[in-house]
Amino acid sequence: MWLMQYRDLIWNLTITDLKVKYQSSVLGFAWSLLNPLLMMLVLFFVFANVFRFNQEHFALYILVGIIAWRFLANGTSTAMLSIVAKPSLVTKIFIPRHILVLSSTLSTFISSILEFCVLIPLLFVFGANITPYILFFPIAHAIFFFIVYGLSLVLAALYVYYRDLNQIWEVVIQLGFFLAPICYPITIVPPQFLPYYVLNPVTILIETYRNFLIYGLPPGLRSMVYLVISAALLMIFGKFVFNRLERRFAEVI
Amino acid sequence: MAGNQYSRNKKNPGHEDAIVVENLSKRFRIPHERKITVYQHLAGLIAGSYSYEIFDALKDVSFSVKHGETFGVIGPNGSGKSTLLKILAGVLYPDRGTVQMNGKIAPFLELGVGFHPDLTAEENIYLYGAIMGLTKRMIASKYEEILDFAELKRFENMKLKNFSSGMAVRLAFSTAIQTNPDILLVDEVLAVGDESFQRKCSKKIDEIRREGKTILLVSHDLGMVQKLCERCILVKNGSIMSSGSPERVIEEYKRITGI
Repeated sequence: MWLMQYRDLIWNLTITDLKVKYQSSVLGFAWSLLNPLLMMLVLFFVFANVFRFNQEHFALYILVGIIAWRFLANGTSTAMLSIVAKPSLVTKIFIPRHILVLSSTLSTFISSILEFCVLIPLLFVFGANITPYILFFPIAHAIFFFIVYGLSLVLAALYVYYRDLNQIWEVVIQLGFFLAPICYPITIVPPQFLPYYVLNPVTILIETYRNFLIYGLPPGLRSMVYLVISAALLMIFGKFVFNRLERRFAEVI
Repeated sequence: MAGNQYSRNKKNPGHEDAIVVENLSKRFRIPHERKITVYQHLAGLIAGSYSYEIFDALKDVSFSVKHGETFGVIGPNGSGKSTLLKILAGVLYPDRGTVQMNGKIAPFLELGVGFHPDLTAEENIYLYGAIMGLTKRMIASKYEEILDFAELKRFENMKLKNFSSGMAVRLAFSTAIQTNPDILLVDEVLAVGDESFQRKCSKKIDEIRREGKTILLVSHDLGMVQKLCERCILVKNGSIMSSGSPERVIEEYKRITGI
């Protein structure tokens, strides 16, 4: 089993990624925390005062949305480059190539977990309704990991052949930011669009995060099943595309 | 995948041959204009045809290497030696034919694969060791030996970007040599470091040879091939021109290249 055989390598690559990321900026990890907080302040100011949305715990509401979204945005855009960024590991030695994507996704996943950890004291400060349902959070985040990993497999494999994909993906991520309920309440979506709007697994996921963390609500069975199915489908699709394209990586990289 | 009988059998060291290659073919399509963006692909659809050159890097190559044998591959530039080595290492997939590797392989296609300039020597040993297939525990137990062999004990906490290229390659060789493989695939990397370190490397390679490991050596250094190898093949234009004892094959090589 490749996961057991290569676990030391996967872990080593993940840690190296984190080390290099946090070494290269002076404030290191602090920046990756300041970024979502400052983002939240800007969006809170704009959407609470200009648009005058009325949503319970709106500051936390935005913050949870941003932190969750950051995992998808950063995770996919760094993992997309993971194959091309290490050409010698593709052309000079054999390792299962999806390890590169996996360890890149894992390192963003760890950053994301740390960001959520910092969120917890803020939940108390802003008076969120904390109940034991908060313990479901790791399950939701694990499902999210597979969604991001599945997507990253597709993107990383395609990026080897299409080197402007990152420009295109940047726009898609921008669009996605406004297509998911991150900085506005879901109630402003016109009812005729709502059935399509909730097809987006990320929408369901962010709402689930908020239910666990802010509103202290139990998990909805239907949304959880929907999330697990979406993650599984994305993983299968990702593996399929990756295995198809992987065979010629060493020739075109 | 369909139509491909490529197999890498690593769990069969009992087989009498270490490497068995049968009817191996590899064809590259080299486009006249390399399209590497979505934009270029879309533009290509409108502009019309996709033209490419076909290059047969390997044509129906078969040979086998016995356990414990040191086997040389020689040939002029562009003859397909590196393609062959990359297929054996599992980096490239062949179009047709089968490859059987009976034993744990260590590809030395390049030294220091995956070295990171922003990490220290110590961190790089662990990273590179893991890439070469060592577990963390194995590296930890060999750690002192690696630094001693590389003669870099003093610099263990220095970042690799401050190393000279000779130091980096010494560190790489010392780590890579610890992988303890059954089959070594070597591509012209034996000439590393200064002369005294080179002697040390040759000694180490000789030691590995005497331990009964299989070595496949791709080289332009005919003297070294003659000295080390027991058997040898000459590859030209993707086919095996001659095989047998190094003396005879090198003679043939000199004849066809007119040296």
